[in-house]
Amino acid sequence: MRLADVLSADVLAELVAPFAASPTAISIETIDGQVVAVAGGPARASSGDRYSVPISAGRAGIVGRVVVARRSGRLDPVSRAAAESLATAIGLLVGAAARTARRATERAEREVEHRREHGRIESELALSRRLQRSFVPLVAPEVAGWDLASYYEPAREIGGDFFDAFRLRDRRRSLGLVIADVTGKGIAAALLMAFSRPLLRAAVDRFHAPAEALERTNHILVAERHSALFITALIAVVDVRSGLLRVAAAGHEPPLILRAASGALEWLPVRGPLLGAFGRLDLRERALTLYHGDMLLCYTDGVTDARSPAGERFGERRLRAAARAGRGSSAQDVVDRIVESMQRFQAGTAAADDVTLLAVRRLPARKAEDGSRWRRSREPDLGT
Amino acid sequence: MSLEIAIDRVVGGAESPTAVVGLVGELDAANYLEVIDAGRRLYEDGIRRLVLDLSGLTFIASSGLVALHSLILIMAGEAPPDPENGWGAFHTLAHDVSGGPQTAVQLCGIGPAVDRVLVRTGMGRLFLVHPDRAAALAAG
Repeated sequence: MRLADVLSADVLAELVAPFAASPTAISIETIDGQVVAVAGGPARASSGDRYSVPISAGRAGIVGRVVVARRSGRLDPVSRAAAESLATAIGLLVGAAARTARRATERAEREVEHRREHGRIESELALSRRLQRSFVPLVAPEVAGWDLASYYEPAREIGGDFFDAFRLRDRRRSLGLVIADVTGKGIAAALLMAFSRPLLRAAVDRFHAPAEALERTNHILVAERHSALFITALIAVVDVRSGLLRVAAAGHEPPLILRAASGALEWLPVRGPLLGAFGRLDLRERALTLYHGDMLLCYTDGVTDARSPAGERFGERRLRAAARAGRGSSAQDVVDRIVESMQRFQAGTAAADDVTLLAVRRLPARKAEDGSRWRRSREPDLGT
Repeated sequence: MSLEIAIDRVVGGAESPTAVVGLVGELDAANYLEVIDAGRRLYEDGIRRLVLDLSGLTFIASSGLVALHSLILIMAGEAPPDPENGWGAFHTLAHDVSGGPQTAVQLCGIGPAVDRVLVRTGMGRLFLVHPDRAAALAAG
């Protein structure tokens, strides 16, 4: 900070003006000796008494000096005191200006750093969301006589929903279905999701029975995973020839069964502790037959917890009503109806949680074609 | 809907300094870290036992369960990892909490919405549950 940056020549002239009629000369000089204001007698008396007071501007250091001089005779104490006062006053002005400038610079630097940090977080989030989308299957397994549909929309702040649908490795008659939700948010949830999805799939492939697969996954999570987070999960295994469905759930929302013949819509009462918290789950598996036209509908709490602008939750009642309205139509139609109903209810309110729906319908006997369709809210972008 | 955290310190004797924490509103991903932070601060202040009064809690999301579980760890003197912070959270803590109800964190005033989630997820088995504050404090 230089003297001239803070005080204009006019102001400096005013500061020394009271000495104009004085036999004592007073001048203000910059740090490199340039005289920027002068009044009174000879400014730079080469001889005689001369008194110089440095202008100290605090952390900005010495920025110049005030000089009083008298051609002959001794300088009076008043002149010395005046020089000191003036130097102090100018020093305070320059110091204050320097502080203001320094703060402005620091603020600007902080803003740049903040923008940089914000950009870094945004790009991490974008990458995590792309990764998260890659955790859900792109292609539905083709299963003759069955109709599969899904919907998956991750929340802005990455969460931990995922689902899977696949034919069991050595039991091609069996279709495995997994839907799960890692509790909590952020990178840790995404990592646990990435860790758990292949575990669940491998357990279903190996044990075939949903409850046993969940027990095995839980055992591995408790023994080997070290996280503050948990997972709710539901596994269903369907014999695609007989329609026999076996389901077990670990802390996950029970699925809905839509019966074609009676029009009944019922919750399948499966329950049990979530994965990762307890040594043993002691899950009870449920078995039933899906007849032609029947549907299994699985979902995560992002659906029922979706909020309206007034703060109300979408809830199980609206979910049932939307599912019921799609009775008799395809799995995709039912999923679409629920999503549309939920989005109407949300009316633009941002979703706090991932939303996942997975519907499996045994086609009516007269429909031979495989009607599997896979819907995702947006295609993943892994190319960037 | 937001969450209010109301803390009443209770003289629980030198052996178990207790605080009653009332949660009013909805406990979800937007505020569960605040509950964990409140628990940390209470532990730093010497509190070793919590009674969570959930009579004003109308909703609990799965992240809320993480908060309840983290409070158990905090009161046990274990520092739970930041549940949103990457590999640190993923690796730092080993625990199996299946040993039945602990007593450092107890619940009271549970309404039907919260009860349903605690039952569905099995997390209810971690806690001793009382009808109200007085009963929870009398239980010691």
